[in-house]
Amino acid sequence: MSFLQRLTKDKAGTILFVMSLSVILITLGIIQTLLFETITFFSDIAEHRGWFSFDWDFSGILSASGFACLLLVVALFLDRESKAVKGTLLSSIPLYVWNPHHGIVKFVFAVAVLQLLFNDSFLLGISILFCVIVWRSIGKIQMKRILGGNIEISNIWRNILSLFILITVFDAITMNYSGALGEFFFQNQWTPTGACEDRRSLCETMSFGVNSLLLTTLQVAFGALVIAVPLGVGCAIYLSEYAPPRLAAVVKPTLEILAGIPSVVYGFFAFIYIGPLVVEFGEYAFANGWIDQPPNVLNPINGAIVVGIMILPLIASMSEDALRAVPNELREGSLALGATKIETTMKVMIQASLSGIIASIILALSRAVGETMAVTLAVGTVAVYTSNMFVPAQTMTAYIAQRVGGDLPFGEIGYLTIFAVGLYLFAITLCLNLLGNKVLSAYREAY
Amino acid sequence: MKDIDKLQKRSRKLRNLTERVGSTSLAIAGLIGLLFLGVLIWQIAEPTFIKGEQGEITAVSEWIPESDYRFEWDFPNIDENGNLTGDPVVIRFEWDDENGSHSHDVQINVIQTRQIKTDIYIDSNGVDQTEIDVGRKTKFYAYSALSVPVTVEQISGPVPNADDTGYPSVNTFVISGDVHVLWDDENEQVFQLLELLAWATLLILIIVFTWPQENVISLLSKIESYKKLVWGVFYILAALTLSLSFEFSDKADILELENYLPTLDAALGALCWAMCGTILYRLLEGIERLKNLKREIHETSRLKHSISNRDGILMWSRMLLFTSTIFIPLLIDIPFLTERYQDIFVPYASGIRAAFYGTIWVMLIAMVVSIPISVGAAIYLEEYAKPNRITKLIQALVTNLAGVPSIVFGMFGLAIFVKQGGIGWGLGPSVLAAGLTMGVMAMPIIVLGGQEALRSVPRSVRESAYGIGCTRWQVTKDHVLPSAMPGIMTGTILAMSRIMGEAAPLVVVGATAMILFDPEPLAALNGGNLNFTVIPIQIYFWTAEPDHAWHSMAAAASITLICLLIAMNSIAIVLRQHFRKRLKS
Repeated sequence: MSFLQRLTKDKAGTILFVMSLSVILITLGIIQTLLFETITFFSDIAEHRGWFSFDWDFSGILSASGFACLLLVVALFLDRESKAVKGTLLSSIPLYVWNPHHGIVKFVFAVAVLQLLFNDSFLLGISILFCVIVWRSIGKIQMKRILGGNIEISNIWRNILSLFILITVFDAITMNYSGALGEFFFQNQWTPTGACEDRRSLCETMSFGVNSLLLTTLQVAFGALVIAVPLGVGCAIYLSEYAPPRLAAVVKPTLEILAGIPSVVYGFFAFIYIGPLVVEFGEYAFANGWIDQPPNVLNPINGAIVVGIMILPLIASMSEDALRAVPNELREGSLALGATKIETTMKVMIQASLSGIIASIILALSRAVGETMAVTLAVGTVAVYTSNMFVPAQTMTAYIAQRVGGDLPFGEIGYLTIFAVGLYLFAITLCLNLLGNKVLSAYREAY
Repeated sequence: MKDIDKLQKRSRKLRNLTERVGSTSLAIAGLIGLLFLGVLIWQIAEPTFIKGEQGEITAVSEWIPESDYRFEWDFPNIDENGNLTGDPVVIRFEWDDENGSHSHDVQINVIQTRQIKTDIYIDSNGVDQTEIDVGRKTKFYAYSALSVPVTVEQISGPVPNADDTGYPSVNTFVISGDVHVLWDDENEQVFQLLELLAWATLLILIIVFTWPQENVISLLSKIESYKKLVWGVFYILAALTLSLSFEFSDKADILELENYLPTLDAALGALCWAMCGTILYRLLEGIERLKNLKREIHETSRLKHSISNRDGILMWSRMLLFTSTIFIPLLIDIPFLTERYQDIFVPYASGIRAAFYGTIWVMLIAMVVSIPISVGAAIYLEEYAKPNRITKLIQALVTNLAGVPSIVFGMFGLAIFVKQGGIGWGLGPSVLAAGLTMGVMAMPIIVLGGQEALRSVPRSVRESAYGIGCTRWQVTKDHVLPSAMPGIMTGTILAMSRIMGEAAPLVVVGATAMILFDPEPLAALNGGNLNFTVIPIQIYFWTAEPDHAWHSMAAAASITLICLLIAMNSIAIVLRQHFRKRLKS
């Protein structure tokens, strides 16, 4: 039976099929509109400034990025050596270098994580962290060589290290990016409304470096995770393992209501309540000279706190589902071996449901990145990124909301910028969603 | 040996301690989430309702002699070009004399030029003018030739600055609500008798239907042969209730569509009658069936079984009863919600009427657009689709569309629905464009919810229906859909309550904050005024205002919105509980 015949025979099925095609239509529509206007945007700028160019500047090799690159190359080499069939080179180094006392290991790890916060160069900080992680993986492999065990060869670290080596090399040897794409993705200044005679057209004072918006967005999103992950996962563990049924019957609907409150109400809450609280801390910090500018009511910390509260129910409910999906035999087996309840929870249940929890965190991150109204009201409208989190900044979504709030003629450069920013945002959240859903479906298959 | 015992004891103590500390800290982590909710609600409720931050608005006018009045305006309601914006200033003079009470309105147009004034003269015939022009920052006088004091009240427009003496007070604006049960302030009944009767009949019938008693059933079995007649009588009563609510006071209004729409409580009353008729018809049908089976009529458990679709009808009639309990015998009067538009200068005189109606229209359009298509898509994906590439693609797209940031949907709406030219439909920043955008946003959520509901229908239902020779569409329509319907409806309501609180897409589509009229839903098609607003947008703009008084209004609007959402969610919860109970039985 041909396709056409089948369509005409099963009329109801055909109609329903056409209905479900609307989903494809919507997705194509979103991508098409965003892409179309973004291409117009880039070609408009490219007419004036070219598409992409950068200047070489080899003096950057001696900077922090160059050092980070060196560290990464060493780490890559060691990683490769450790997976060789006969690790003669590594065996010549005494074992206590690879596996010292576990207190030392913990200390080094803590230092490696903490230096991320205070390191001026993000790439150097992350490469130090990577070196420590590679050191630990080598330690594990060396231990297995001696005690026996299955040595799994995976290329994950090789790929990540290679990618970061490319990035650091690129960062070290090039300094000035320009042209439409170079400006958008690599520059830091976001001034889409220059002081031009004609508001509609481009002029030299305009600058489209989206990084200042992106960095603030990430600042807010990761700040939200810092707040929401411990609370949300703790809440999930408590609900699934500890809470008496009567309390759980109160807490779960409360979380649902918390999830159902509109984001603009959260924004209002942040504006009138959290902002002034944060300012008090900020004034204390300013008086002690920890920050260089006086704090404002609108700031990224404010946004991070409120977005953290918003994504808390998502993390809590998804993590709870993940914990409940763990088979009961694991829990009972652990208890039967004499582990206490907290040991069972921490060492068995969390380990078993880790990928489900991670999926919930990824999806919550995507939600935090795409959050609009609360962030618009809480973070402010100054599109300048600073490491000082007490002064106003602007996220990508807030830029879109603020920009379209005024009267916006179609086809003007300001109108086009929101689509370029929107496409970038869409791409980020789509990647996060794909990753999260993939992890989640893998977890569902496992149990 | 003793040492080992000691060691074991110590380690046990340590482990008990860690156990206790760990579980306590987890409990605290869980309760902090609750604390956040409490703080949030407290922060919104405290300035508005508990502290009672109410605006006392007073006029600048001084009381000169008892018979003369002076007025002064500081905030004229004019823009740079001298055009009137917003409501005109209207002042009402009222007095009682031997001829009875008088009430006269004077409209005052504040114009750009200074030093221009027209004075008002009041005598026993009334006020000599109905409309005067007064320059900006100019005083003008009202001279009274009466022997009695005149009260002056400003009834619309921006209120002038208050001075130190602050009297005579013009009005006090508070967010207050009035709930009357059965009778209002003037002791007039707030219902029509027929509506109340319908409500009471429905209540009685539901009780009879849920717990059938032997004597009632035997009473009903006497009229069993007239069941068509009974059914007809109830429908005639429904029509009567509807028709009684129409009032044609003015012949000029005959062409107005509004006169042909029944009031809400009349419509509910008519629905109650219709539901009564249906319930009674079903009941009598069940009794007849029992008789045909040669069973005793007092076998109520059999009666319950023999009434087909009992659950669905009961659920609907209970929801109808609940709704009409609110609307038929109660008169809810909250000026903030139902009467006032936004005032330009005075926060406490503002209301969310325009936003409220805007929300209702946007939601209605979104529902009409999204529900049929997305339920169809859910049915296709669950019942029809073969596991091939297209199905996988659609499934992946649905899952990922549900996670796309809402503002991206707004930009989609802006480019497709609002913009003119290219692929744009050119609807402008109107209610229609907003509703379509929201409908598109709700679609993936409804599809996911619908799929979940369809998946939870047991396989045996489908297989037994196939077994007796139903086609696939018949299986879906008659067996799968009815059992999955409450689940689908729960998902739909949750999706609707989610898009009800979304402001981001509508900011992009172009909702405005200042609306002084009810939004028109089809303005984009017939060329009316396009502007509209919704409650979240109103909250957003009010929060962004610098004056703290506006924040109180934002808080009040937030509470209204949260109440609406909780009402919708509780309907969803009731449906879910009902569904679960039926699955268990």
